[in-house]
Amino acid sequence: MENNKLNRLEIITKTLSQDLLGGRINILLGWEKGHYWWQSRPLFIRNEKELGNLVWDSFCAINLSRYLPELLKDYDKIGVLVKGCDSRAFNRLLQDNMVDRSRIVLYGLPCMGMLDYEMLLAEAGQEIDSIDEKNEMVIVQTKDGKKQVDRSKVLMAKCRDCLYPEPVVYDQMLGEPFDRKQPPERFNRVADLERLTDNERYTYWEKEFSRCLRCYACRQACPFCSCIECFVEQENPRWLGKAYQPSENFIFHLVRAYHGAGRCIDCGECERVCPVNIPLQEMNRKLIKDINELFGEYEAGLNASEEPPLLTYKPDDPSAFSEE
Amino acid sequence: MSSTLKESSPEFEPLIVAFCCNWCSYAGGDLAGTSRMNYPANVKVIRVPCCGRMSPMFVLRAFQMGADGVLVAGCHPGDCHYSTGNYHGRRRLSAFKRLVEFAGLEKERFAVRWISSSEGDKFAEEMRLITDKIKALGPNRKMRDTRWKTIN
Repeated sequence: MENNKLNRLEIITKTLSQDLLGGRINILLGWEKGHYWWQSRPLFIRNEKELGNLVWDSFCAINLSRYLPELLKDYDKIGVLVKGCDSRAFNRLLQDNMVDRSRIVLYGLPCMGMLDYEMLLAEAGQEIDSIDEKNEMVIVQTKDGKKQVDRSKVLMAKCRDCLYPEPVVYDQMLGEPFDRKQPPERFNRVADLERLTDNERYTYWEKEFSRCLRCYACRQACPFCSCIECFVEQENPRWLGKAYQPSENFIFHLVRAYHGAGRCIDCGECERVCPVNIPLQEMNRKLIKDINELFGEYEAGLNASEEPPLLTYKPDDPSAFSEE
Repeated sequence: MSSTLKESSPEFEPLIVAFCCNWCSYAGGDLAGTSRMNYPANVKVIRVPCCGRMSPMFVLRAFQMGADGVLVAGCHPGDCHYSTGNYHGRRRLSAFKRLVEFAGLEKERFAVRWISSSEGDKFAEEMRLITDKIKALGPNRKMRDTRWKTIN
């Protein structure tokens, strides 16, 4: 597998270097190794030398499509490596007219799901030197020897319920599709919360949101947060105060989630980047679940030409408020 | 349970904010007034062009600044002055209502009603109903800004 992987990376690099030298693209967005072996960070490749740093491993969780709107200001033709969720994020940005399709080349990579370092640590029980992957198994190398772990046990939260591991839109596919087990029901946690009483739910969210630092990392990483000026920073009208206040935190999170109603692609980047582990996906998924129930099944980011459910209507729509 | 969820006092008078669409519900309120129908003074009416104009921030801000209940009233579906505003409003407010309930707000506290300009009696009746419901529920402390003065 390790050998296959190297070959795979070689093939990817070869194609990309041809395109980069041939002028099909001026810049390429990929990943490189971060400070630690378990980190892969974004890499902006302009020449052959920088291409040498490219990696494609099980830690390339960060969504590269989110960098495109800014990058398009400086570069004419941009190549970008996309996983399943990145490709749907691209569709999302396309729907908001944030990117120019004709100036972007999408290189598709089917994704096995990214690994969570914290969970690997928990499985190993001590410091990890390196890991090796074999099909559905991860071999964790510690100073006391090797340990085999089932891959599904150490997947990132955002990858565990992934419905579309393969890119839904691409110009060129750089990987081969693979068989993948059906993911578990993604709305279970939302349904659990729905069964609680109002006060229990409020207490739950109050506790979760009280940790919020309002760093807005969730917004920065999010492919549906594409407003030029966000409501949290708007001065006139000033929707939200700057002070730390439980009430303001509550409102920030409700409105952030609501702005994604019918637009959230369920990629889980918000929850992944949250430094205080607020379960933001539960809010997003609640909206996805309700909109599916009320206005028909819709999966954001699959088809850029399909209108999101909250931008349209039907005269005989149901409503969530009865006249009782 | 958190300290923000308190018991209500016996002489509790709720504050209810009603966002009424200019063309139907606000005119309905006018009709209730000119027809000398009574409705509780707890309801403070704010006029909006259309229920499709409603921003979720209006509702949350009201709760934050002391409202015990919020009502959005618009034209009956199909009767919108702007043809489709309330169709859009119905979708958005449905999703939003479920979201605030998911966050822990009691379902009675946020209501949406269709009231036409000829339904002065319905306007007065709905205002009475929501006031009674919220009186029974007690003051809202959820999402309330603790720096804000407490009226009750």
